[in-house]
Amino acid sequence: MLIQTIHGLTPLEELEVHDQVEWFDNARKTTTTWTRSGELVRQDVHVHILRGLAADAAQGGM
Amino acid sequence: MANSQAIATSFKVELFNGIHALGTTVTRGGTTADTFKAALYVATGSIGAGTTAYSATNEVAGTNYTAGGVTFSWVAPTSSGTTAYSTPSASLAWTTVTLSTSFDCVLLYNSTQSNKAVASYTFGATTVTAGNFTLTMPTNDSTNGLLRLA
Repeated sequence: MLIQTIHGLTPLEELEVHDQVEWFDNARKTTTTWTRSGELVRQDVHVHILRGLAADAAQGGM
Repeated sequence: MANSQAIATSFKVELFNGIHALGTTVTRGGTTADTFKAALYVATGSIGAGTTAYSATNEVAGTNYTAGGVTFSWVAPTSSGTTAYSTPSASLAWTTVTLSTSFDCVLLYNSTQSNKAVASYTFGATTVTAGNFTLTMPTNDSTNGLLRLA
């Protein structure tokens, strides 16, 4: 199986892969790093936003 | 400077003025929703509540990244209890990109309405090399929806 890298399509078996997961207040980020003989040849990042933003409406009195 | 996540203050005002149409229930001349886009910003940018419109300043640049970002659609706005909400209908994705300068922010904006800002979201310093950058959206409900007005 081939995967796109900075060197073009590269056989998967030539690569080492490492996943790093980071947590934020409202998101989880997974960084997948692909290396070949220690060289970074590809890095994918997936951010899952767990919760969006709210604008709280405030009602005044009369 | 640094990026921060916030619903643009200007967007809140513009809602009162009927500027933005996320859905098709519109009472302007037509019933076509506006076009919205998402652009990425470098970590040294200053995107936040005070951002009023898209700008190319501090936007990322790199292989297969198109200035202005990607286009997306909103799930039809609705409400639950006293909270109105909506969320992009699909993940925001940039494929086979190389973004070497650290970035940490996405700005959603209305390209139909003079690129007016909607909201910004941050996710920590990030680089991508010959790979994919994907922003998966939260559950579209009154607790987690990407954009909520309580």
